[in-house]
Amino acid sequence: MNFTYPTTIPEAIQGVVKLNTERNTTARIWQLSLVGLVVSLGFVLFMLVTEGHASFNTSSDGVNWGSAIATYVFFALTSSGLTFIASLATVFGFKEFYPIAKRCIWLAIVALIAGFSVLALELGHPFRMIWSVPFGMQIMSPMFWMGVLYTIDLVLLFAKFYLMWKEDWDSALSHFVGIAGFVAVICASGMLGLVFASLGMRPMWFGSATSVFFMLSAALSGAAAVVVTVQIAYGFRINAMPTALKALATGDKLPKVFATLIGIVLLFLITRIWVGLWSNVDGLEGFISLLHSPWFHIELWVCLVVPFFMMLTPSLQVSPKAQFWAASLVQIGMFIERQVFIISGQNVPMFKGTWAAMVTPYSPSVTEWALVVVGLSAMFALYALGERLFNLSAMPKHVLETNGVLARA
Amino acid sequence: MAKWGMVIDLEKCAGCQACTVACGMENSRLPGEHWQDVIFFSEGEYPNTQLKWLPRPCMHCENPSCVAVCPTGATYKNEDGFVLIDWDRCIGCKYCMVACPYGVRFYTDEKPLIAPDMRKVFPDEKGKASWSPPWKMPEDKEDWKHGVGVQPHDVVSKCTFCHHRVSTAPKGTVDLDPSDPKLREHTPACVVTCAPGARYFGDLSNPNSEVNKLIGEKNGNRLLDHLGNKPQVYYLTGPGGAVPGSRSMNKKGNGEKS
Repeated sequence: MNFTYPTTIPEAIQGVVKLNTERNTTARIWQLSLVGLVVSLGFVLFMLVTEGHASFNTSSDGVNWGSAIATYVFFALTSSGLTFIASLATVFGFKEFYPIAKRCIWLAIVALIAGFSVLALELGHPFRMIWSVPFGMQIMSPMFWMGVLYTIDLVLLFAKFYLMWKEDWDSALSHFVGIAGFVAVICASGMLGLVFASLGMRPMWFGSATSVFFMLSAALSGAAAVVVTVQIAYGFRINAMPTALKALATGDKLPKVFATLIGIVLLFLITRIWVGLWSNVDGLEGFISLLHSPWFHIELWVCLVVPFFMMLTPSLQVSPKAQFWAASLVQIGMFIERQVFIISGQNVPMFKGTWAAMVTPYSPSVTEWALVVVGLSAMFALYALGERLFNLSAMPKHVLETNGVLARA
Repeated sequence: MAKWGMVIDLEKCAGCQACTVACGMENSRLPGEHWQDVIFFSEGEYPNTQLKWLPRPCMHCENPSCVAVCPTGATYKNEDGFVLIDWDRCIGCKYCMVACPYGVRFYTDEKPLIAPDMRKVFPDEKGKASWSPPWKMPEDKEDWKHGVGVQPHDVVSKCTFCHHRVSTAPKGTVDLDPSDPKLREHTPACVVTCAPGARYFGDLSNPNSEVNKLIGEKNGNRLLDHLGNKPQVYYLTGPGGAVPGSRSMNKKGNGEKS
């Protein structure tokens, strides 16, 4: 895309208007996601007005938190993971990762906004939350801290992106915001894990390992999201990429990070199911139903084991298409993981009588699927907006100089 | 300050569900969503099986996990030991439902449990409550700050130990005995209606209360005590009897782990 990025608000508005008529990958993503967003959001709002939350398949008898919560968790953790990946450059000084740092921060912002939007549509009274959470000050509640920490995370992400937009990569303030953002996101994703991990009465979730798993699987989600979007942004044309980005995209550093994270997540999943199947603790029966679920096997074998070996194979790990497919599979796997983790953790009913199934059957309703589309289309639309308005491949001058070229545009 | 609690004598309980119906009428419950339920379950394997049952109100725990997880303070434990919900503060996040080990909490905005959907048969014209049952309590008795009345949309509800009745009991009352005409209207509906007299309601903080005597003399025990929630509902099981130790009453269903 050979154009100048807008620097003023009128130019930005003009840019957004142009997106509706332009014919490039970014514009196509924008147009398609906008249509998706309007249709899915329209449908969800119509169902909420006419049927209310009865249009969800959740029930007081078993699965209280359904697909919508899992979708929120998927987006929130993808956002956290993207911040982790950006931090490789901005906090830990791995300069090779600078070419994707700004893209990661923008994607983290839009993923979190998508997640919050889905959550707001799931909650009974989202607007009441604005006053009742801060005035309630329920410091014992993991959900209270999750809200506080993700709000801090979002503010710091905006601050970091603003500094990057101002090309302030190395000032003391920029470093401080980067480090504070990293700490906030560690705490936020860990606290999101603790929302589940704190509950002793839910043995499938209980224990600090859940919180650590949330952080590590977030990093995997983030790595997958950035690989997918980098390839989409340049239409799989390696030569169109700035040299530094090209070096990262065709090198083995990112695939190695990626493979390591897949390996860690696989270890967590396998040890978790081992404990679940081995133990007789009341409430762990959900693991048996998990083993019988085709989704779990798709997640494990297709979406994690296959990409793991792809990213360990030297010829495939440097191939952009192989990276793209591995990352896409991992992202699908992580989406399934959030769903099966949250659903199977609840579907052993509590004191509901002989008539209640031992494992409550649950599958998302059309409205709940539409909410997934709301989240995805919101994220892609905002991503395209960022791609059009900001140079997401921008990087510090010293990195550019090292590589001897200037970034695109 | 009292610490209200309940004792349920399982040797007397006939499993007639009169408590469930009385609670439904008193608290305008949507049919199928019973704050007070009698859970039937079977134990043993054919031919050595037994049909058993367990009345299950809210346990009004001493350490309520629902209160600890609530992000807004909508669920709270008051000075008299009631665990209640402020419907004006509840955001409908359902975290309390997930965190309750006894499954006593309800979100009305769900697929109907019975047909026809009573919310559509008796809709609330004002749109304030989730429905308008023909037998609801007078409006001036409704008390959303304590989760009493017809359940509004998109909030969580549960048994209040009939807070609207018990909170008006004369100060210093130790036992709410439904056979005493002066105390009858202050006693929870399920206790009043129980034909075999299997339910007792009184002040757990008073060592001389009937409930404390029963717990002490007949070895009252609590559901899932290992979780540490410390319910204020005790069960008397008689010699050799027990409350179920597991949450799932249907361990053999669906060909799963038994």
